[in-house]
Amino acid sequence: MARSTTTTSLIRTPPRISALPALVLLLFATLTGGSLHAAEAGSRLQQLFVAEPYLELYEGPGRGYAVTQVVPRGESIDVLYRRTEWFLVRTRRGIEGWAKEAEMRKTVLADGSTFNFDLGNLAGFTSHDWELGVGTGYYGGATLISSHLAYSFNEQLSIELTGSQFLGNVSNGYAAELGLAHVYRPDWRVSPLLTLGTGAIWITPKSTTVAAPDRNDQTAYVGVGLRGYVTRRFFLRGEYRHHLVFTSRDSNEEISEWKLELAFFF
Amino acid sequence: METRARLLLLSLVASMLPGCALLHGKKADAPVQQAATVADPAQEEPTDKPPRVIEPEVARRQIKVAKIDAKNVELGSFYGSMSIEDFGSNATWGFTAAYHVTEDFFFQGGYGRTTAGKTSYETLGGNVQLLTPSERRFTYYNLSLGYNLFPGEVYIGRKLAMNSALYAIGGIGSTKFAGDDKFTVNFGAGYRLLPTDWLAIHIDVQDHVFQSDLLGSDKLVNNLSAGIGLTVFF
Repeated sequence: MARSTTTTSLIRTPPRISALPALVLLLFATLTGGSLHAAEAGSRLQQLFVAEPYLELYEGPGRGYAVTQVVPRGESIDVLYRRTEWFLVRTRRGIEGWAKEAEMRKTVLADGSTFNFDLGNLAGFTSHDWELGVGTGYYGGATLISSHLAYSFNEQLSIELTGSQFLGNVSNGYAAELGLAHVYRPDWRVSPLLTLGTGAIWITPKSTTVAAPDRNDQTAYVGVGLRGYVTRRFFLRGEYRHHLVFTSRDSNEEISEWKLELAFFF
Repeated sequence: METRARLLLLSLVASMLPGCALLHGKKADAPVQQAATVADPAQEEPTDKPPRVIEPEVARRQIKVAKIDAKNVELGSFYGSMSIEDFGSNATWGFTAAYHVTEDFFFQGGYGRTTAGKTSYETLGGNVQLLTPSERRFTYYNLSLGYNLFPGEVYIGRKLAMNSALYAIGGIGSTKFAGDDKFTVNFGAGYRLLPTDWLAIHIDVQDHVFQSDLLGSDKLVNNLSAGIGLTVFF
C-alpha cells in the first residue's frame, strides 16, 4: 500500500490543459449515457404495424448499410427514436434495426390509420417550426459571420435570434438581435420576407488605430429578404438589413448589412 | 246570398288551414314525431317482433401517437495538437456541437483554444518577445457544413461491428490571436466511429486559414489541427 502511494506521487501530474477536456469527456459519457437509457426505459414507445408485404431493417442509418432483418406484414414494431431520415425500431422479437423514412410512411397505427410525421420536403418547409442558418456577408464594410435561430408561430410569422460577428479594418465587434420575420408567401418555393427587431452591438476598435474606448449600444433594424427552398431540409436566405445604432453621441449611426445564409428547418 | 257568402268564406278558410300548418314547419311537427317515438316501444311490445337486447355502442378506439425523439444533435469535446504557422505546435482542446440535417449533411459549430509558441526569430534572438503571454493565446470558433463521404462499417474481431463515416468538412469562423480577430476559413476531413448508436469517437484534421500581417508582410497563414474527440448523440 505504502509502495503504491509512493509510486503515485512520483508520477508527474498531467498539465492542466489536458485534465479539463478529459474530465469533460468523462462527465459527458457518464451523464448522458445514463440519462439516455433512463429516458428510453421510462418513455412510452410508439407501436406501429407493418402494412406493406415487409419492412426492411438496415444495420445503420444510411442507404449504404446492409439489410439484416425483415419484418413481415401485420407484425408490430416499436419506434425507439429518429435520426435524420431514419427510425431506429425494435421488433417483437427484440431485434433492433434502422428503417427508412419512406418505408415508415407505409406503416399503420393500431387503429389502421397511417403513421404521419414531418418530412424534409417543400410541404415541410412551408410549415416548419424551427430553423437555423449560418452565413456570411458585409456589415458596414466589414466582413460578417452571421447565424440565426428562428421559431415559427405560424407559417408566416416567426421570432428570430441573430448573432453575428463583424471583422473590419478599423474595428471588430459582435451584434445580437431579437426580431420578427414575416414571410409573404410561405407556400412559394421562393418568397420575399420582411424583418424587424432590436438588439445590442459591441464594437472594439482595432489596436493599431487611435485608442478609442470599446462601445456598446442599442440597435434597431428593419430588413427585407428572400428565402428559397433548395432541397431536403435546406434553404437559402438572403437579406438586407438597415440598422440604426443609438449611440451616446449627438447623432445616431446607420449601418447597412447584406448577408447570405445557408439554413435548414427542423 | 248570405249563405253563399258564408260558404265561400268557409271554403277559403278550410283551404288555408293546411297552409298555416306548413308555415309553422318543423317546429309544429317535432313534438308530434317525438311523441310518436316515445310511444313506439309501448306499442311494439305487444306485437310479435323480438325485443332489441343488444344496443350497439360503437366507440372508435383513440390512438395517441407518442412523440418520437429525434436524436440529431451531437455534442462533444476534443483534444489534439495545433500547428500555428511560424509559432510552432501546441496542444489544443475545445468543444463541438453538431446537428445532423440529413443522413449525408450536418452542421457543426466548434470552439477551440491553444497557445502559440516562439518563432524561430525569438528563439535565436535571445530576449526578443514578439507577443505578450496573453497575445499568445489562440482561440478560434467555426461554423461548418459537413458531408459524410464514405459511410461504412468497421469490424473488430469476429463479433464487433461499428458504424463509421469518413466526412469532409468546411466552414467559416473567426480566430483571436495576437490581439486581433481574423476572419478564418476552415476545411478538412474527419473520421467518425460509433461504438454504440449514441456515442461517437472522432479523428479530425483541419486547416484554419486567415490573412495575417503579424510578421511584416501580409500573407495567408495555414494552421493545421489534428485531434481526437468524443461526442454523444442527443
